[in-house]
Amino acid sequence: MSRSRRNWNEVNAASLARWIVLTGFLALSGLCYVYLTLQLYHLGDRKKALENEVANLRMQNEVTSAQIAALTSRSALQRRLKEGYLKMIPIAEHNIVRLSIPNRNPDDAVQPVSNPRSAR
Amino acid sequence: MKWNSRTRCAIVCLGFILLFSLFSFRLIYLQMIKHDEYAGLAAEKHVIKQPIFAERGIILDANNDVLAHNIPVETVVADTSRLNNVDATVNLVSDELKLPRAEVSEKLHTDRRYIVLKREVAKVSADSLRQKLRSQNLRGIYFEQDATRVYPNGGMLCHVIGFTDFEHKGIQGVEGSLDEYLHGQDGYRYIEHNRAGQEIVLYRGQERAPRNGYQVHLTVDLNLQNIVENEIDAAMHEYSPKKATIILMRPQTGEILAMANRPAFDLNKRSEAKPEEMKNRAICDMMEPGSTFKIVTAAAALNEHKFSLDSYIFCENGVWNYGGTPLHDHAAFKDLSVKDILVKSSNIGAAKMAVTLGDQKFYEYIRRFGFGERTGVELPGEIPGLIRSPQLWSKISITHIPMGHEIGVTPLQMATAMCAIANGGKLMTPRIVKSITTSDGKTISTLKPVVLRQVVSPQTANQIGIALRGVVSDRGTAAAAAVPGFIIAGKTGTAQKVGPHGSYEKGKEVVSFCGYLPADNPEFVGLVVLDDAQTKPEQNYGGQVAGPIFSHIAEKAARYLDLEPHEEIRKAIPVERVALTNASRH
Repeated sequence: MSRSRRNWNEVNAASLARWIVLTGFLALSGLCYVYLTLQLYHLGDRKKALENEVANLRMQNEVTSAQIAALTSRSALQRRLKEGYLKMIPIAEHNIVRLSIPNRNPDDAVQPVSNPRSAR
Repeated sequence: MKWNSRTRCAIVCLGFILLFSLFSFRLIYLQMIKHDEYAGLAAEKHVIKQPIFAERGIILDANNDVLAHNIPVETVVADTSRLNNVDATVNLVSDELKLPRAEVSEKLHTDRRYIVLKREVAKVSADSLRQKLRSQNLRGIYFEQDATRVYPNGGMLCHVIGFTDFEHKGIQGVEGSLDEYLHGQDGYRYIEHNRAGQEIVLYRGQERAPRNGYQVHLTVDLNLQNIVENEIDAAMHEYSPKKATIILMRPQTGEILAMANRPAFDLNKRSEAKPEEMKNRAICDMMEPGSTFKIVTAAAALNEHKFSLDSYIFCENGVWNYGGTPLHDHAAFKDLSVKDILVKSSNIGAAKMAVTLGDQKFYEYIRRFGFGERTGVELPGEIPGLIRSPQLWSKISITHIPMGHEIGVTPLQMATAMCAIANGGKLMTPRIVKSITTSDGKTISTLKPVVLRQVVSPQTANQIGIALRGVVSDRGTAAAAAVPGFIIAGKTGTAQKVGPHGSYEKGKEVVSFCGYLPADNPEFVGLVVLDDAQTKPEQNYGGQVAGPIFSHIAEKAARYLDLEPHEEIRKAIPVERVALTNASRH
């Protein structure tokens, strides 16, 4: 017993544990660093893809707006009118009813109101 | 000498220290002293300043109808240093972009790093090419975002809107005059890219967002413009004049509601337009106004209290010798009141008013009405017209200028002068721009009406207005300008054309009519000018050619603006047009 005890090296468990923790921590930090860096690249790519998508949507929106403007332009509408797509009948004079605005008493408390916000 | 191990060890250590010190010094030199220089060199390799283009602002009419806007397109460029299969790329690009194979081949068989293959490629075509390049693994072709200007109404209002060049710089019309507002400010972003040329978003540097161009709202109402364009086209078809101009203005504010010129061009095919078609004749062309100018003469005489509206002037039975030159009227008039001088358009009566007024005073009124100076409308290329000072007048100038000869005015100046009569004597600055806003509707600037000066008193303007109502009656020279249901005031003009050598050309006339409606509370002033209308000589007068055109426009415009007709007129005049009388000449 005493012989074998003499040949063994004493292990400082506390020190070993400290080193293991430190090494583990460093390894984990390294892995985290690599992982987060990769994440940054990945998120950058996603950001770029989203930017492209937004730009494409904006572009499509502009193309659509342009098409709407072209289709509703005076020349386009007149062409369609000539082609007979738009059935428009001129309003005869006897069909127009003109309403004269009644004179209001400025002291009249009851006034018609409008709420422009609700119309937005 | 024998060195012990300790000394040897020290020497080796010293060697290492020296070596690493050398490395350290080099490192410090590179990293600190030469940092900026090498960082700059590295940045040149990897960092590029990527422009972020601002969108050009759109142009809208008074009702927010779009007059000019942008369509996204792409510019296809090549970097020959990155091409991996030139022949395949040539074939694909020429097929997809509909370009001659030889042209593409010639461009790609060079060592240039930036070659524009085609501009303004539609997004669909660009997407198709992009996809095919990717599927065939071809490199070296790039796409740059761009936009092209589109005008949905083609040729309508072409001289007012103007157009841009391929660098998106406005060069005519509102596009040119308000370029600084429409253009916006490009942004930029510093980016780094990898070996494949793709951006590394992680290393994105300084960034400045673009500021899109402002929206410009015009005073022009596209519905009124449409009425004017249709009528000017009809006039071109009927009379085939060399040039024609029609202007509608709101007299109280000086707002231009419509402005059309012929010849015109399609804004979307501007490269095919001839220089003559691109001229905005309403502001760039000078004409002798003819008898419409008599409003200035009469207004000056009344305002100076030299005459009243009922004062009679002897009109010499049609011929008056002044300064050794006979001056003619189109009929033998005896005594005419000032009112009738305008109604009958007597040259002799107008000349006598000016003679009574005197050279200097008459000249002063001409200038007060805005002739001889630019009106200040927000359009480029406006000319001031030509008004000589009295020192340069001949002996007979005082008899010729009152009837609109020997002077050069622009159609817009004439319409503005009529606005001054219609609004109670105030000379307004004509305006074509209503407001400038951001793309999300925030107002940057609203242009308010500008009164330049009180030219004549409101009483004088009112008296002239009364006389001008007589012009558009069966007694006056413009019965054909009448609109059923409304009282109209106006003045006709017929002037012989001045040829290239300065002499009058026989049989070539500039006919015009300038009037407003309703006469008692004018909503708009209209001017119709036709240069060298092809019609019978006995019919080539302002009242017979320009008058009916004004009538058609005014009738439709009144209906569009929902103006209430005068009941008494509606009863008095049948719906059919007033028949032309022999008096309807000038």
